[in-house]
Amino acid sequence: MHIPDNYLSPSTCAAMGAAMVPVWTKAIRKVKEEIPKAKIPLLGVGAAFSFLLMMFNVPLPGGTTGHAVGGTLLAILMGPYAACISVTVALFIQALLFGDGGILAFGANCFNMAFVLPFFGYYIYKLIKDHVRSEKGEYLGIILGSYAGINIAALCAAIEFGIQPLLFKDGAGQALYCPYPLSVSIPAMLIPHLLVAGIVEAVFTVAIVIYIKKVSPGTFYKGAKEKTRAVYGLVAGLICFTPLGLLATGTAWGEWGADEIKEVVSGGNVLGFVPHGMKEGFNFSAVMPDYAVSGLPEVAGYLLSAVAGVAIMIIFFKILGNMKKDKAGNNVGSYRN
Amino acid sequence: MDHTEIKVNDMPEWLLKNENYIPSADKDTFVNKSILSVFKVLSRIKKQDSPGETAFQINVPLQVFGTLVLILLVSLTRSFVFVIIVNVWLLAVLSMTDTTRMIVILKLSMGITFFTAIIMLPAFVLGNTYSSIMITTKVFATITAMGLLSHSTKWSALTQALKRFYLPDIFIFILDITIKYIYMLGEFSLNMFYALKLRSVGKNRSKYSSMAGIAGTVFLQSKEMAEDMYHAMECRGFTGEYHLNDKSKFKWQDYLYIGIIAVFFTLFIYFGRV
Repeated sequence: MHIPDNYLSPSTCAAMGAAMVPVWTKAIRKVKEEIPKAKIPLLGVGAAFSFLLMMFNVPLPGGTTGHAVGGTLLAILMGPYAACISVTVALFIQALLFGDGGILAFGANCFNMAFVLPFFGYYIYKLIKDHVRSEKGEYLGIILGSYAGINIAALCAAIEFGIQPLLFKDGAGQALYCPYPLSVSIPAMLIPHLLVAGIVEAVFTVAIVIYIKKVSPGTFYKGAKEKTRAVYGLVAGLICFTPLGLLATGTAWGEWGADEIKEVVSGGNVLGFVPHGMKEGFNFSAVMPDYAVSGLPEVAGYLLSAVAGVAIMIIFFKILGNMKKDKAGNNVGSYRN
Repeated sequence: MDHTEIKVNDMPEWLLKNENYIPSADKDTFVNKSILSVFKVLSRIKKQDSPGETAFQINVPLQVFGTLVLILLVSLTRSFVFVIIVNVWLLAVLSMTDTTRMIVILKLSMGITFFTAIIMLPAFVLGNTYSSIMITTKVFATITAMGLLSHSTKWSALTQALKRFYLPDIFIFILDITIKYIYMLGEFSLNMFYALKLRSVGKNRSKYSSMAGIAGTVFLQSKEMAEDMYHAMECRGFTGEYHLNDKSKFKWQDYLYIGIIAVFFTLFIYFGRV
């Protein structure tokens, strides 16, 4: 679910980042209230835990393996606000140091995985747990919460992808960023999450919670009990309905987004974008060569390809040389050479 | 003679039988994969402690800033030529780094670019050639730029550089703790994975729940470690404030780097008009 850079437009990334600012502010304030200043290291260690949790593979039917995200688990264990900060830090390290997920798309990734996932998962868990007051009710809450949490996060990512071709087009009506409309992006993201990733997440979350309950029952996040339950119910109810609304509008968009990219252009017409887009829109093959040639003097073009050629040759020979060294078995300390 | 016979008679029957136990094969790909992925992270953290070529090290905050500007420009531009120029520049820089590092960076960027190309294939077939080619080349540029940054600088220097961008102390502090504890908790869980592997002889049906046990234990351990760390900090009088005493001046390569970023900015504007 880590969105790389350039799939989303920079303006979408900026909007998502801006949307995260109040969430982060609130989360930091809440954590300061809930966790005494003394326990700030807990956030860092929690982030390390959430980072490592994504390294744990679990078996899937058919001999493959998958890994859980653990957002809901962290929210159940540490509270949703601390989970939000922990996942944010983990995502930041992944983006900055491991190249996993984009730098510009950091806000969008945080929105999906550090905000939507833990909060929705946690409140669904809380809602069920408060209404069905038994151990079974709690486990049901964990299963449904973690399953719904990861799927709603995937839906958010799908919507972010899907609105790109509607909002960002060039003069010829071609999408500038992710080219797939909602009718493609939603099923592409949701089907694997509904069928596989959601189940992995739910099973793993329940198994870990059962284990921790057995070994050390005192370590759970207690939640704000003094608050009125009505408010919680309302919030949770609203949260449950929002994705349904999004899903409904999603299919409506998808209908006129239709099944081909070409149709998106006519969809653009309906929306009022690119009135003359149809005509130019069909002339797809002509766009690319123009882009490649126009605006670059011939000399500069030659120079550019020369530099590229030399660089690629050096890379190629270095790799070749490295492979030979491996065979000879004297690559000890080759990192320093 | 008599003595040994008594001994043999004393031995229980089953001990004297010749046994040929072959443990039945069991699937433990997920344990192996978990070990591998944790191990990769650990080795990555260890490797970043030995940065080579310190002579050409560009001022780290400057490099972070330059990389961000480059990524932003690549993301904003609609000119294919500009993206190609950036790619060529990155390839040239890449060809100058040492081989092992280069291969690691290339593996990541090629992998993600290939993945992107596959995702964009249907769009390409349907005629959306512009975005499919643009996004694929842009992704290569972005991942390579990030790879060059994170592989050529110590991570402690990177987090220190963030302070220059006025990120709050608490954030940098948490970031540093996280990197350190990813390593410590990673080693901790690695040992448990080894134990699980060694103790599962033949079929082990409870492997899956052991997996949850490992994750759960790591969590409990992390809580304990965090508390210990807090106490240690308190004993040493740490207040959570970071002070930067970096008095390094810009060297010639830093000015060169600024020049290169400026050239890219000019090119961005130039090709944006065409």
